[in-house]
Amino acid sequence: MMELTLYEEAMCCSTGVCGPDPDDELVEVSAALDQLEDEFDVEVSRANMQHDIDQFLETQQIADLVDEHGTSILPILVLDDEVIATSEYLSYDELAAELRETQNAPQEA
Amino acid sequence: MTPRDLVEPSGDDTEFVFFSGKGGVGKSTVSCATATWLADNDYETLLVTTDPAPNLSDIFDQGIGHEVTEIEGIQNLSAIEIDPDTAAEEYRQETIEPMRQLLDDEEIQTVEEQLNSPCVEEIAAFDNFVDFMESPEYDVVVFDTAPTGHTIRLMELPTDWNAELEKGGSTCIGPAASMEDKKVQYERAIDTLQDTEQTTFAFVGKPEDSSIDEIERSAGDLAELGIESQLLILNGYLPESVCEDPFFAGKREDEQAVIERAHEEFDADATATYPLQPGEITGLDLLSDVAGVLYDGAEATVDVGSATDIETDQSVDVEALADPASIADRVTPSDDETRYLFFTGKGGVGKSTIAATSATKIAEAGYETLVVTTDPAAHLEDIFGEPVGHDPTSVSQANLDAARIDQEKALEEYRTQVLDHVTKMYEDKEDTEIDVDAAIANVEEELESPCAEEMAALEKFVSYFQEDGYDVVVFDTAPTGHTLRLLELPSDWKGFMDLGSLTKGAAPAKGDQYDEVIETMQDPERSSFAFVMYPEYTPMMEAYRAAEDLNDQVGIETAFVVANYLLPEEYGDNAFFANRRAQQENYLGEIKDRFETPMMLVPLRRDEPIGLEELSAFGDEITGLFEISKEEVTIQ
Repeated sequence: MMELTLYEEAMCCSTGVCGPDPDDELVEVSAALDQLEDEFDVEVSRANMQHDIDQFLETQQIADLVDEHGTSILPILVLDDEVIATSEYLSYDELAAELRETQNAPQEA
Repeated sequence: MTPRDLVEPSGDDTEFVFFSGKGGVGKSTVSCATATWLADNDYETLLVTTDPAPNLSDIFDQGIGHEVTEIEGIQNLSAIEIDPDTAAEEYRQETIEPMRQLLDDEEIQTVEEQLNSPCVEEIAAFDNFVDFMESPEYDVVVFDTAPTGHTIRLMELPTDWNAELEKGGSTCIGPAASMEDKKVQYERAIDTLQDTEQTTFAFVGKPEDSSIDEIERSAGDLAELGIESQLLILNGYLPESVCEDPFFAGKREDEQAVIERAHEEFDADATATYPLQPGEITGLDLLSDVAGVLYDGAEATVDVGSATDIETDQSVDVEALADPASIADRVTPSDDETRYLFFTGKGGVGKSTIAATSATKIAEAGYETLVVTTDPAAHLEDIFGEPVGHDPTSVSQANLDAARIDQEKALEEYRTQVLDHVTKMYEDKEDTEIDVDAAIANVEEELESPCAEEMAALEKFVSYFQEDGYDVVVFDTAPTGHTLRLLELPSDWKGFMDLGSLTKGAAPAKGDQYDEVIETMQDPERSSFAFVMYPEYTPMMEAYRAAEDLNDQVGIETAFVVANYLLPEEYGDNAFFANRRAQQENYLGEIKDRFETPMMLVPLRRDEPIGLEELSAFGDEITGLFEISKEEVTIQ
């Protein structure tokens, strides 16, 4: 099982449907993640700074990145411990490609 | 079942008694009386208040505060006042503290702003509340809960949280991981709330139709959550012996009819009533009188004779408080821009009537006027005696239109709008393999939230700012500071996210529109916010807090206050009403000191005005409204 983790900025709700108009990007991201979980053997988790600050602090590479670059480095997307994107979300297609690649890569011992 | 059976512990488990009802109905009094009575009956009792403006200290004549404090002179009784603001601030600081390691001051400030939300205040209050639901050292815990709508949301949250936690996502209200630890505790709290053996839900209200209507709505909401309302207490009916003229005799008759109706309609195990007293209920003697009536079947003691000890040197010159010219200025347009006039305040303070009366007088003076209500009970229709629809409809008065925001319709409109937006967004993307239907279904699910309802109402509300051709738009309600803060939030959010150099395709058009609305509301030349209250402690404090919020959160200053239900001089010529009048005058003075704005004084009426003729006549008795009709209107 692959693990995809999104480290995101402090926000109230990650779905994007909160507030006067929906946040297009977050709506897309949420939908894409749901669909990817169905299609791939991947477990997606989302950590946002407001709710899951512990997770930021406990994950050394994330804490270092944020410490060095500030929150402009967020969101950080991590797939099986490897940072696959910083400062931006990936689209469904891009994420699917990443997952396919990791899935097909020879298993490391 | 008697009220006594309901509040007494039925087994070895701690009994929980909740008093619900809006501010000013005597909830604190009833809670204190109940707690005192239980303590007197040898039950180890804790009284918890989450009222933002608690007056337990006045009632017990002893400082209480944020810690559990033993009440002097009463064995077995302790009390605590939970200040929701303090609780929220503690919660905020706990949340922010760990972030300080990673974020700089500016970023911390942004997070702090975001945490300044009703959501966070609710959760903080609820947290405190759940803490006391596990108090095995007490036989009974009596909660003097916050006003109705608030309470309901507190009750609703835990179920939502659990649903949210099961999905494994992060929630609007707190760190999912730390919530996980509390899940068991919350579930136990809900179970306890639903258990009629262990928990009693009591409503306190006034003998008025609007009060009963609201209680029925709230009880309905609770019932949906599996919580039964068992006890109804109607407080403050006029005692027969003091109603010596047709005005008050008539009022008393109406009240008795409402009490009758409540007995018939309200599905409670027990009901009880307590009369209005000449003064405020403080001190142990009066508390035990209240408890005696509620729980021991005693007759109420109304001490009419000794009610003459009015401190005349403290009495306030009511006429001097009114400032008709300023009021007239603030309800009419300055220059040729539209004036937006908001009447705000808790339910039952008479907002709709005052809004309709003001609108009528303003229209009479020659201004093109629109009056908008968001009252779900569609009160405006009753007041005008004419149908009022979702879109502005003209009523018989020249220059006057009326509209009623239909919440259901507004929500539907909002849903459609959001879904259309999302659908279109996906249409514009070509080479995607995303399952659009699933994505839309996702959003649809998200729209089933209280947040969406609030947004929908707000959307509709904002749309009335775009209505052209009116000199004055009168709203019989206003968004709270919290709600307006929500309008500002998205731009803050985006500001925060922009730090992340995100190229976001969010539509800025709406943001600009909201900015404009808020700017209009902040401009005293274009908008007037008026707080409606009656001159008593709790209504005054509630209005004051709301006014402070509006100022702190969105920078809107109160234009004037409306003091409603002032006892007429010509009726109630006895010591009882003399005392009530003196009490009102003292509060009028205090309102003036607190708000420091002009005052619109509105007399108590025998009946609600119905129809344009009565509205117009009533308007002549209200500060400032008579004056505008004399002004020369040159607009048009």
